[in-house]
Amino acid sequence: MSDQAVRNLENSAAEAQRPGPACAVQTFNLTRAFGRLVAVDGISLSIKKGELFALLGPNGAGKTTVISLLCCLLKPTGGTAYVLGHDITKEPYEVKKLIGVSPQETTLSERLNPLENLELIARLHDLPKAKAHQWSCLLLETMGLSERARDQVRNFSGGMKRRLSLAMALIADPQILILDEPSLGLDPQARRAVWEYIEHLKGEKTILLTTHYMEEADYLSDRVGIIDQGRIVSLGSPSELKTRLLDTHTILVKGWNLTQNVIASLQQRYQGVKLEGNTLTVSDRHLDLHELIEQLRRDGASVRSAYFKESTLEDVFIKITGKELRA
Amino acid sequence: MRFWQLFLRNLKETYRDQLALGFLLAFPLLFMLVFGVALGANEAPSYRIAAVDDDASPISASFITEGLPQALTLEVELASSAADALASLKLGDIRAFVVIPPGFGEAVVAIRSGTPANLNLDLTYDESDLAVSGEIVQTVRAILGEFAAIESPITVNAHPVNTQAKITQIDFIAPGIIIFGLLIMIPTSARIMTRDKENGYLRRLLTTPTHPWEFILGYSLCLLLIAVIQIIFFLLIGWLFGMDILGNLALAFGVYVLAAIASIGLGMVVAALAKSQTQAEPLTWLFTMPLAIISGVWFSLGSMPSYIRAISQIFPYAHAVEATRAILLRGAGFTAVGSDLVFLVAWAVGAILLGIFMFGRTMRA
Repeated sequence: MSDQAVRNLENSAAEAQRPGPACAVQTFNLTRAFGRLVAVDGISLSIKKGELFALLGPNGAGKTTVISLLCCLLKPTGGTAYVLGHDITKEPYEVKKLIGVSPQETTLSERLNPLENLELIARLHDLPKAKAHQWSCLLLETMGLSERARDQVRNFSGGMKRRLSLAMALIADPQILILDEPSLGLDPQARRAVWEYIEHLKGEKTILLTTHYMEEADYLSDRVGIIDQGRIVSLGSPSELKTRLLDTHTILVKGWNLTQNVIASLQQRYQGVKLEGNTLTVSDRHLDLHELIEQLRRDGASVRSAYFKESTLEDVFIKITGKELRA
Repeated sequence: MRFWQLFLRNLKETYRDQLALGFLLAFPLLFMLVFGVALGANEAPSYRIAAVDDDASPISASFITEGLPQALTLEVELASSAADALASLKLGDIRAFVVIPPGFGEAVVAIRSGTPANLNLDLTYDESDLAVSGEIVQTVRAILGEFAAIESPITVNAHPVNTQAKITQIDFIAPGIIIFGLLIMIPTSARIMTRDKENGYLRRLLTTPTHPWEFILGYSLCLLLIAVIQIIFFLLIGWLFGMDILGNLALAFGVYVLAAIASIGLGMVVAALAKSQTQAEPLTWLFTMPLAIISGVWFSLGSMPSYIRAISQIFPYAHAVEATRAILLRGAGFTAVGSDLVFLVAWAVGAILLGIFMFGRTMRA
């Protein structure tokens, strides 16, 4: 489905204020204000069943507020949302039965062991005792925590806690998985492990995750909603967003004799030319690697390496909002 | 039965936390020992006695208001009847009482004008209270002699009664220390609930289909069980140290449970107001310790200024201390502690309802 088609669908749904049958989550002009601060400002979006949707935005953009609203921890001050057909303002407990949540803070019951932590959540979701135990053991195995099943979790590393937190979101076999910053504060290796696990769940469950890591949204999601100051500013698959929004290309060049003359000569031909340290950045709507290298040679520079910079969602974000994501 | 799962979780969190556990049991125990030793030989310097004026003459009135208080060791209060005074004696509120018989005033007038007459005075005290039988009888006799301005004949009829009470230091300390332990339940409850609120664990659990009342019941049951264990532990310690338990243990237990419920309710209120544990803890200690002191958990309230006593009466703990001392040490029954009980029930219900309302509100969307 094209981005425009999705938007049309959302618009018509917003008019009807009725949840579509193919949607796992649908929000209609969802708004939440804290006094004069509008944290979520009229968001309308739909997440299809089985989709992995990433809400991408800087800290304070309103991601966690959206999550809190969908988990019925907060009441919207305007609009509403439906989770598998249940209105979050009218049937909070029905909604809570359908979702599994891994909050931003990896909060666990510190003096319980992982098995007890999992079993508690399972029991709060009304799973029978035997089933709660069986599923907990299974998930611990999957998450590689079986060996530490009887240790109090306060002694666990950040990565282990994060995996357990993920398992707690999964334990009741929810139809919708909500992950708030699932890899926050993890080292690259642990982050990769979490990503792999989420990837493995793709298609099986509808997943809504928030992140301020571009790579994470890029790597995992089917669709990304870029959120800034409480509004969705752009929506689409990562590659769609990049091709739609980034019409310039960039080549990075490293070499010697990158003199003022060389740069001046380049500037006559290309839109953006910048020298930082010994790296030359050249950007324009149309770029040819061979042409560029040829010109540099002619102007007396020697090129050690030259390559197209792959555009990232970060570039998309800067393009849309005019600011850097991690600022 | 989600509340039951939460109850079990809260219990595990607490008993696996040795520091918290030590705090709940060892801390009051330490106070018990320190105060037991420090105050071991230190008795109150003055005796409270009551006077019953059956004569109702100006002379008898002046004997009570001017004569008896001359003795620095006596604190005199008026009682309406001998039966009332006896009840106070049995509760230990007073150490002895005098009954001024009809005709006392006339006899004093007669003696002062030179006509011989018999002066009678009834003095009732606890036979086991050795200090009274010696000292108070002597003092009253001396004052009466001086008051009537004669040497003799004076008859002070001594009536030793058996109130069954032989109150030792441990007897006095133990019931109060249990209340101190229950006062510590305020910071403990506040800490347990604030911790879950602060680190976001409560938020996580709130994404499950659990209702606020189930959380509150899960916390309250756990805290109540801790309180019950505390009460039993300190009663056992008291018993080991030789505390005599004269009254109805179940009644005393009921009083303690009411005080515990009030503490849990107050802890919930603090947890609802506090943003963090570091905020909640000092805040609760700030009023728990002074409250412990003015509630008479370590010292008798009798030696405190009247305005302090008035403040202490606002809170449930002084009532609980008085009621349990009366029950355990002096065998007071249900009716004797009735007004304290009513006050405690009102506090327990009020505090827990306020706690549920305020903490419940923090959980609502």
